[in-house]
Amino acid sequence: MKKKLLGVLLSTAMVATMLAGCGGGAAAGAADAAADTAEEATEEVAEDATEEAAAEEEIPVSTFGDASGTHLEMWTFVELHGQHYGKMAEIWNEQNPDEKIEITCTTYPYSDMHTKLLTSLEAGTGAPDICDVEVGQFPNVVAGMDQWLVPLDDFAADYMPTMVPARMQTYQGEDGHYYGAPYHVGATAMYYNVAAMAEAMGISNDEVIAKIDSVVTWEDYQALGEEYKAAIADDSKYWTSVDTGGTDWLWLAMAEYGDDWTGGFEGPANCQLDSVKNMLSLQQDWLKSGLAQISPDGHVDLEAGFQNILDHNIVSFPKALWYMSRFTNYMPEEKGNWYIAKCPVFEAGQKCSVGIGGTGTVVTQQSANKDLAAKFLCWAKMSDEGEQNIWDTLGFDVCNTAMWTQDSFAHDDNNQFNQFFINYPYDVLNDIGMDNIGKISVVAISPTINEYVCTTTLNEVLEDPEYSIDDALQELQDAVDMEQ
Amino acid sequence: MKKQRTLSRSPKRIALTILGTGFFVILCLIIAFPIVAGLLASFRPGTELIRRGLALDFDISTMTLANYTYLFGGNVDSQKYFMWYKNSLIITLVSVVLTLLICYFVAYGLTMYDFKLRNLLFTLVIATMMVPFEILMLPLYKEIIKLHLIDTYFGVIVIGLCSASTIFFFRQYLGGLPKDLLSAARIDGANEYYISVKIILPLAKPAFASMGILCAMGAWNAILWPLLVLKGAEKFTLPIGLNTLLTPYGNNYDVLIAGSMFGILPIFIIFLLFQKYIIDGMTAGAVKG
Amino acid sequence: MKGKNFLYSQKVAPYVFVLPFILSFAIFWIYPLITAFTMSFQDIGAIKTEWVGLANYTKLLKDKVFMIAVANSTKYMFFTLVLLIPFPMLFAVLMDSNIVKAKGLWKAILYMPALTSVVISGTLFRLMFTEYKTGQMNIISQALGFGTYKWLKNGWSGMLALLVVACWRWTGVNMLYFLSGLKSIDSALYEAADIDGASAFQKFRYVTLPLLKPTTIYVLTISVYAGLAMFLESYMLWAGNSSPNNIGLTIVGYLYKRGIEKNDMGYACAVGVVLLIVALIINFAQLILNGTFKKED
Repeated sequence: MKKKLLGVLLSTAMVATMLAGCGGGAAAGAADAAADTAEEATEEVAEDATEEAAAEEEIPVSTFGDASGTHLEMWTFVELHGQHYGKMAEIWNEQNPDEKIEITCTTYPYSDMHTKLLTSLEAGTGAPDICDVEVGQFPNVVAGMDQWLVPLDDFAADYMPTMVPARMQTYQGEDGHYYGAPYHVGATAMYYNVAAMAEAMGISNDEVIAKIDSVVTWEDYQALGEEYKAAIADDSKYWTSVDTGGTDWLWLAMAEYGDDWTGGFEGPANCQLDSVKNMLSLQQDWLKSGLAQISPDGHVDLEAGFQNILDHNIVSFPKALWYMSRFTNYMPEEKGNWYIAKCPVFEAGQKCSVGIGGTGTVVTQQSANKDLAAKFLCWAKMSDEGEQNIWDTLGFDVCNTAMWTQDSFAHDDNNQFNQFFINYPYDVLNDIGMDNIGKISVVAISPTINEYVCTTTLNEVLEDPEYSIDDALQELQDAVDMEQ
Repeated sequence: MKKQRTLSRSPKRIALTILGTGFFVILCLIIAFPIVAGLLASFRPGTELIRRGLALDFDISTMTLANYTYLFGGNVDSQKYFMWYKNSLIITLVSVVLTLLICYFVAYGLTMYDFKLRNLLFTLVIATMMVPFEILMLPLYKEIIKLHLIDTYFGVIVIGLCSASTIFFFRQYLGGLPKDLLSAARIDGANEYYISVKIILPLAKPAFASMGILCAMGAWNAILWPLLVLKGAEKFTLPIGLNTLLTPYGNNYDVLIAGSMFGILPIFIIFLLFQKYIIDGMTAGAVKG
Repeated sequence: MKGKNFLYSQKVAPYVFVLPFILSFAIFWIYPLITAFTMSFQDIGAIKTEWVGLANYTKLLKDKVFMIAVANSTKYMFFTLVLLIPFPMLFAVLMDSNIVKAKGLWKAILYMPALTSVVISGTLFRLMFTEYKTGQMNIISQALGFGTYKWLKNGWSGMLALLVVACWRWTGVNMLYFLSGLKSIDSALYEAADIDGASAFQKFRYVTLPLLKPTTIYVLTISVYAGLAMFLESYMLWAGNSSPNNIGLTIVGYLYKRGIEKNDMGYACAVGVVLLIVALIINFAQLILNGTFKKED
């Protein structure tokens, strides 16, 4: 046995030496030689690649402005946002020849960008000059206040009088300073499928719109829904869908009553609010009477939600105005069918909208050019030029109300959203009015509340419309109390 | 070289072959379903995916090459896509080769020798496999900055070179090889390193092949760490780039699905290259005493 | 020459071999591990960080949501062990036999899911399991006359969806491990068994199974951890880290909720340390029982 083995070893060794002798050229059998060559090859590839990259003209992925200007670095998680700053940098350089800038905008994946930002803020190095922060993540970032971020108060002062106050407050720190510049109001409005309603009820679009315009309270809204249900007489068609995976309806209810379950910075959070109870019991009634269904997969801003809307299974729902872009992106065939209106209220005279979602852009203390970065940021997001570009390229309802009434801006028929919907979105905003847009704070306790509501409370109350709302809210309060 | 057992063409044998092959046909049909669905979706506009979900029909009228022509069209997005593609290829190739070699030798040391620290080191190997990366992230990030490896590809791959699971796999594999190979070689006067490279390594080809595939997959799909280390879109890898298409403000399905489908290709080629070594395996003659 | 002899001695060689691991461990593991461990005793704020002793751990023990996460992860781990060890092993043995034709093709297809990015496979499976009528699961269920079902809203079907994704992704990979394990088995043993007139089952039971043990132990060990640490699949299936009644919440998902979403790194580190300890206990128990630490003769 030993002998045989010896033979094998000897021959293996011989083969190996031979192969080594021919420089590993035909090393098909010898894995080591193969691995060696592979390694060399990769190293070559790597070297080639780096050389190539250096030799090649750099692909202008994301750098805008003037190379001789002050360099600013900007992170975002939506590529279009970066392009907004790029465009604004060009205009800025024309207007400020002595303060030219060059800006590099990098788009990162959404959740990872926030991880990276927080990691670098905590590490004290590596953060960019300017960074987009999604509103849900904002409490984590603003917790560092002026140690991490640059207060924007002085730089935004010129624009403040006409900015929607609720939106500016959303990005306030505990110390009262403004740390984030908003893109949009995210004003919640009611979307109605006029075409589907007209067809079902056998009346003209204008008659439907007249009915919608006369809706003031949730009672009116419910009555119109019952009228639609009676006309269509189809169990698989609903007036609206209620969310088990989103808090939009509840936020709207709180804003109408002027409530805020987070309690703001002072706290404590209190979720057992009448506004929330009223909305939930209204929804339970609708579910029981068949007026509403539960949004497939939890809320309307998901694939199944879009399908549901496309199939005309629901013909009305409240959502922030940024949802308009979902229509243009995913539901192009709905063009001309939809009408946007004020949301109903519980009692006439209440606020009828609430700002939902959003992204605040911050300037970090790690920036070498804080003042310039902050000045540019506020200008790019609050000035007329900035707002014009936000509406044109991003399609957001801008925060500077001075723009809302400018005819060339609000009624521009080249704008895709103005074309898509039956009415002009800004007419709805003007109708609502900047002081009627409520605000729910986004503070440290917010993720806890949101999470419990979306995973548990709404599922209990809506999946089982007989479930006691008081019990569900008590459970929610207990869970929240554990965290505060 | 394969197990050449009696290959009688009996009816029983044919029936067995049909059964055995048929089993894999069915299994593969099930497994392939989502991929086929994804592939079909990549030939449709993103709005179709929203409209009908994963429709599994071959309705030509809704199909279009638009996503791919856009991807290959040489526009800004397509330039970026291939830049990320190239970056991912470099990172994957370099890290696979280095990881395999390093892990093989570490495992060799842990398996073939009986030394004092052996069990302690092996315990540490296993232990490092069980640490959730998320809690190491922040300190590791600070360390990489101090080492001046931030924003370099080396910083991306260096922490994974001593992959515990790869070491462990090699160890398990090498442990199954007959030890008398070693003593025989030593009697012949071969030194330790020579034995590890020229005698044992060729026998570990199947292990190299499967670990090669696994490491390639890990490196190709890694996202969190590369993202922390790298700055600037021109250094991004493909998964980072593709993930930027998913945002809370809407997903770009058109490019995302086509890009992901085409992104399978290189790793699939690596698979095809490596998997034949798994088949080769240990020839009967090599170890028979 | 003396130095060379020293390096070449059988006493020193093992240390040379394991040096990369020792270096990597010293540089990239010790400091971050200690830091993470200390962080688990701290309340880490943006402005100031305080020592809180065992507070994070005591809170963890009272935390109902964490318990749900532990239960989900454990259940998931258990089922993946049941599904993803025996079946891939059988598939590998079958694939290795000579009654299967066109092996390369089947292997390639089985391996494909692991190559697909989680982003895309998550989206595909979410569309398949949607409660809307266009989802494949609901198409099947409607065809069988059961109507549509809310797959991702109920505990059992949510777990089913997770397991389907797990089996889809990992069957091929685990089969690959076993295939390469099978290759380390000397075919002479099968020949000897043939001569003794052993049946196919006997060969599997007395030759394949014992000799595959090292591979099985490997797959078991990584599956225990992978099962306990699963996160991405759940994240993609529910399009985020929140699932109805937390049916899809896992330990690492919870760690993310705390560490990343709420930026409470101290508490997150405590979760991570608990996960580490649980995984270590299970795996070392299993490895010791399997004799992996025993000296080989």
